[in-house]
Amino acid sequence: MAVNTVLRTVKQAIWVGWKVETNWADPFVFSIYYLIRPLAGLLIVGFVFIIGSSASGGQLSPEYFAFMFIGNSFFIYVSQIMMTMSMLIHDDRAHYEVMKHIYLAPGSLAWYILGRALNGVLNATVSLILTLGFGVAIFQGLMKVQIPINWLGIDFSLLLLNLVLGIVCFIAMGYILCGINIMTSKVQFMLTEYVSGILYLFGGVVFLPEILPQWGQTISNALPITYFLRIMRYAFLHQSPSVVEMDLLYLVLTMIATIIVGFGVFRIAMYKARRDGLIDKKEEY
Amino acid sequence: MREQLIHNLRAAYARLWVRVKGGNREPQWLIAEMIIPILTLSAYIYMYKTLEAPPAFAGFVIIGGTMIAFWANVLWNMSAQFYWEKETGNLEIYFVTPISRMAILLGMALGGIVNTILRAAAIMVAGILVFQVPLVINEPFTALLMFFLTITALYALGMLFASLFLMYGREAWHTANLFQEPVHFLSGAYFPKSLLPDTVQLVASLIPLTFGLDGIRQIVILGKGFSDVWIDLVALTVFIIILLPLAKFALDYMENLGKKEGRLTLRWQ
Repeated sequence: MAVNTVLRTVKQAIWVGWKVETNWADPFVFSIYYLIRPLAGLLIVGFVFIIGSSASGGQLSPEYFAFMFIGNSFFIYVSQIMMTMSMLIHDDRAHYEVMKHIYLAPGSLAWYILGRALNGVLNATVSLILTLGFGVAIFQGLMKVQIPINWLGIDFSLLLLNLVLGIVCFIAMGYILCGINIMTSKVQFMLTEYVSGILYLFGGVVFLPEILPQWGQTISNALPITYFLRIMRYAFLHQSPSVVEMDLLYLVLTMIATIIVGFGVFRIAMYKARRDGLIDKKEEY
Repeated sequence: MREQLIHNLRAAYARLWVRVKGGNREPQWLIAEMIIPILTLSAYIYMYKTLEAPPAFAGFVIIGGTMIAFWANVLWNMSAQFYWEKETGNLEIYFVTPISRMAILLGMALGGIVNTILRAAAIMVAGILVFQVPLVINEPFTALLMFFLTITALYALGMLFASLFLMYGREAWHTANLFQEPVHFLSGAYFPKSLLPDTVQLVASLIPLTFGLDGIRQIVILGKGFSDVWIDLVALTVFIIILLPLAKFALDYMENLGKKEGRLTLRWQ
């Protein structure tokens, strides 16, 4: 396929995604919406930390707070990408009934999905920036909890590299969800929640995976998000329980594995969907 | 009058039957609704373990996770229900039938309660078994009363939201989404609300779940009794007294507005 066609497909998909997700409200309401939910999630873990620390009679550990703060904030990418890519097939095929038109258009469906996923990345970035800003203002400004992050000392090159690798990985996972959704119906909500829930519990988002039972640690070691968050914390806090180069290597390896599985599942699903007439399958609408 | 009452009760039963049948016909939904909340609440329990907090905190999280199942049901299967019905073309059928809209909402609520009790019980039992959380229930009838009032108040709030969401398009979906984590935070789903700042507690007192969670935790985890939780019981009763008539009023108002603006059958808003 010509590069121009691919780029145009991705660009238009980003634009459609942006419109679908934002034009139900004016920009102010939309911004509030994209701030409040992730911020509330951060407030929950922040208060669990503060209340749990005081209940145990120990001192507040600023290092652990920063660990949790970075982990929970960057988990926005996972939840947003999973939500966008899991709902996409259902919305376009069953709800708005446009999947067949997209399938017939010159651009490939896979590139269209990539564009919609990138729109999810944009939304997640807006949410992340707002959440980090308000999170620091609330916890450090209002509640006087020290967050030992030197904002000028962040390793931006490592952060960007890690972000790109992580996002590629999460989008590849999203293709698995798209493949499953094409083959099935009415599982889009639970798929999002399952994947996000498993990654949240085993990915070392708000606690070190070492506290999990042995089988839980094995799962954690196989998940790219574990390495993604470790590297992210290193970029912000310059502290890591392991060598950051090794984490980068593991992230790349798990990313390659995820891409192979993701696109494999998606291609097989598309082949079966076309063979079984599922591309314009109607559901309850 | 009597005939009309029987008619409405039959409509409520019919809606309840659809809800129970529809909610349990897909085993993968049933399993997912039991497992997914356990994943999230496990993360918070491990966080408390990392902080070496007392074991009672794990119990707080499990009770919170259990009651959140009801809140999720209220949001998605009550509040946003008329939006789904509009999208699937059922809403106009409800409106042309000679029964009260409140009968339909009552049927949805009762069906939702039956379904969610099954899931919530599974979440609670699994959570208690996995994390070995001891329950100290000295007054089981007070616990039952607290639970009954909590879910009645929650579903009354769901009825009110259903009325308000009647006119919504995609806003209904986004608003229901918006009422998840913020309400989990404000109601103290994963920690005792009494430890929140006063201003936050003031805002949280507008949510029935806050009082229900507080009361149930005190009775079930801390072994307290009626004399300790009567304020929660009174608050929940006040919520029910206010919310039910308000839901009826809002439903009538929004239905009329919807008819005037021609939005009751509008899809893909």
